[in-house]
Amino acid sequence: MDRLWGFFTSVKLAVFTLIALAVASVFGTLVEQNLPREKYREIYKDWAFELMDRTDLFDMYHSWWFLALLVLFTVNLACCTIDRFPKALNVVRNPRTKLDDDLADTLPLAERWKRKGAAGEWAPRYADALSSLFAKPLVAVEGEEVHMYAEAGMASRFGVYVTHLSIIVIFLGAIVGSVAGFKGFANIPEGESVSQVPVRGGSRMQDLGFTLRCNSFRVETYPSGQPKAYISDLSVIDGGREVLRKRNVVVNDPLRYKGIWFYQASYGEAGGAVARVEVHGAGGSPPEVLSLAAGRPVAIPGYGFVSAVEYRQDYQGAGPALRLIVEKPGVPPSELWLPEGGNPGTSAGGDGKPPISFRGLAPWMFTGLQVARDPGVGIVWVGCGLMILGIVMAFFLSHRRVWLRLSKGADGRLEVVLGGAANRNRLAFEKAFGKIRDGLKGVGA
Amino acid sequence: MSNVLLFNLTTVLFGAASVLYLGALYAKNDRIAVYGSWVCALAAVTSTAALGVRWLESYRMGIGRIPVTNLYESLVFFAWSVNLFYMAVERKYGSRTIGAFVMPIAFLTMLFAVTNDSTIQPLVPALQSYWLHAHVITCFVGYAAFAVSAGVAVMYLLKSRREREGVSGGVVGRLPESRVLDDLVYRAIVWGFPFLTAGIITGAAWANYAWGTYWSWDPKETWSLIVWLVYAVYLHARITRGWHGRRAAILSIVGFGTTLFCYLGVNLLLSGLHSYGGG
Ligand code: HEM
Repeated sequence: MDRLWGFFTSVKLAVFTLIALAVASVFGTLVEQNLPREKYREIYKDWAFELMDRTDLFDMYHSWWFLALLVLFTVNLACCTIDRFPKALNVVRNPRTKLDDDLADTLPLAERWKRKGAAGEWAPRYADALSSLFAKPLVAVEGEEVHMYAEAGMASRFGVYVTHLSIIVIFLGAIVGSVAGFKGFANIPEGESVSQVPVRGGSRMQDLGFTLRCNSFRVETYPSGQPKAYISDLSVIDGGREVLRKRNVVVNDPLRYKGIWFYQASYGEAGGAVARVEVHGAGGSPPEVLSLAAGRPVAIPGYGFVSAVEYRQDYQGAGPALRLIVEKPGVPPSELWLPEGGNPGTSAGGDGKPPISFRGLAPWMFTGLQVARDPGVGIVWVGCGLMILGIVMAFFLSHRRVWLRLSKGADGRLEVVLGGAANRNRLAFEKAFGKIRDGLKGVGA
Repeated sequence: MSNVLLFNLTTVLFGAASVLYLGALYAKNDRIAVYGSWVCALAAVTSTAALGVRWLESYRMGIGRIPVTNLYESLVFFAWSVNLFYMAVERKYGSRTIGAFVMPIAFLTMLFAVTNDSTIQPLVPALQSYWLHAHVITCFVGYAAFAVSAGVAVMYLLKSRREREGVSGGVVGRLPESRVLDDLVYRAIVWGFPFLTAGIITGAAWANYAWGTYWSWDPKETWSLIVWLVYAVYLHARITRGWHGRRAAILSIVGFGTTLFCYLGVNLLLSGLHSYGGG
């Protein structure tokens, strides 16, 4: 049992697992992961393919042995931390508050001097000086002797534990995410909707619990022709009505509804064409571009529906034009021909109908969205925060301790012994200790 | 294109500083090294100005963005960080010999940079995020610290060999004591490690915001994890197994090797999502 505990608490094992994880990860970057199997057959010779397939090298990060390595690492980390934490707590809880000769001999910094008088009369003055020079001391009177102990930066001792704990918290978050969340994708043609998405890497479909509609998709380019933005206009339909609309879902700005996130990830042509029309809102609100697939009605916010029914290359000798039907509940549908590129003013239909203009035909596009729900992600961020905090505590704080002893020396004079130690950044503490020493020596001088 | 001129001037200054520091070491003349420090300071001014001008020029082109988004820009930013990190070390430790081992890293980086395409390109959609700033800056400060650590580790190896042989004169004799160098190797890592950690975390946060997964084992991510693991090994070997001196110095150099691979090798040799493409 002790041997086992010794094994799992050894830092040697930690160094080994860290190196093993690093080496394994190198393999994972050299062998491209998760390609179709045929690709691997092309790349590797048969025997190499068999061997790599057998050892899961093609999906290494999800293989049993990589997971086992992570588990070993975590158990090691947990054991190590559990093993040492009580000792660290002990250092803090039961500090050695008395500077006896044993301690004075082991301290890296120590200083002695003499004064005339009794410990009792010097003690308050030294305690005050120590408070203002460093930290308020704990004072213990023992007969003729007075002991003082002051400390600062105790948190330094716990940085390691916060850091190690943070790794476990991050793993916990990752487990919660993979058990209770899902990752999927959705390709939605303009004007169409989905309420289920295929889950990545599996054949399962995941119900969203609501419907997501793609109103339109477009690519904006820089003058040089390079892509500037991929923009999806998405609506969430829940309980039969549109509850959320986000016109600018772009890379780095996802849509979120009921804990499910939709990320702009790809796009493509859905085959066929759509008519792009611009609907001008009431009261000067910005115009909105709609993509109309043949015969499919699209909502005009605040009015009704519009559908494109016919397109002609040359309408009555005046160039290309589009025939639309505009509907509003309770009003007979009206039909109109719009010339391409026409002025919206000319196409206004009266009776509160919004001005519409025809921008031309465009390929029918679909937007490709990553879909994710990850309830563990908050835990992961807490872990990351703890990690930064822990590392800063471990590296940039220092547990500094100062002892002072007043006792009667052999010659009858008062002997003052000052000692100090720091667990980090000893050079800086040496300087600070020098100041404390000079300050204390100056007391009553 | 005035930013490129300023960067070219910076390259010359880094070269000059390297020559001055190395010359001072060989000629055993501290006055020359003082000139090296001045040249470093001048290079800091010109490279900072160059970054600022490049930033402004990108705004004038209507595509304003932070100048750390392609190989050229990341290289000059790396050299800029190394120079500043080195100047801080020089001030704190008061030793100019370190410059002979660190400034050549900045100089070579700039030489490599000027062979790459230096035009200002607009940002592709994937990079249009505020996370870009936090992510790139933290990563590169970390890299710069590791570069300084490795430079000093080389000094340590040279110095400690001489000390063991009991030779105190010569060029190596002018280097700081090996005890000080060993401490400095460690200290630079103590600065680099939190920055690298923050760099990985901001990268994960960004990935989560852009793609919906904070970790996807993309080669760049994986290599940054490898670098992080190597330095974690360094820290543990040092604090709990008492690895000092030679072994620790070698580990620091290995760590910087993995850092370089993570930064350049991954893009030039492996495929992935990151954009500092092969120029
Ligand atoms: C990559 C993951 C790890 C990170 C980032 C990490 C981080 C740290 C840090 C920052 C320190 C403080 C170092 C210093 O004070 O200079 C430390 C110390 C330590 N770590 Fe880790 N650690 C990791 C994994 C592990 C594992 C798996 C073990 C298991 C044995 C372990 C055991 C220790 C021990 C024993 C100490 C020394 C504590 C002391 O001062 O008494 N660490 N770690």
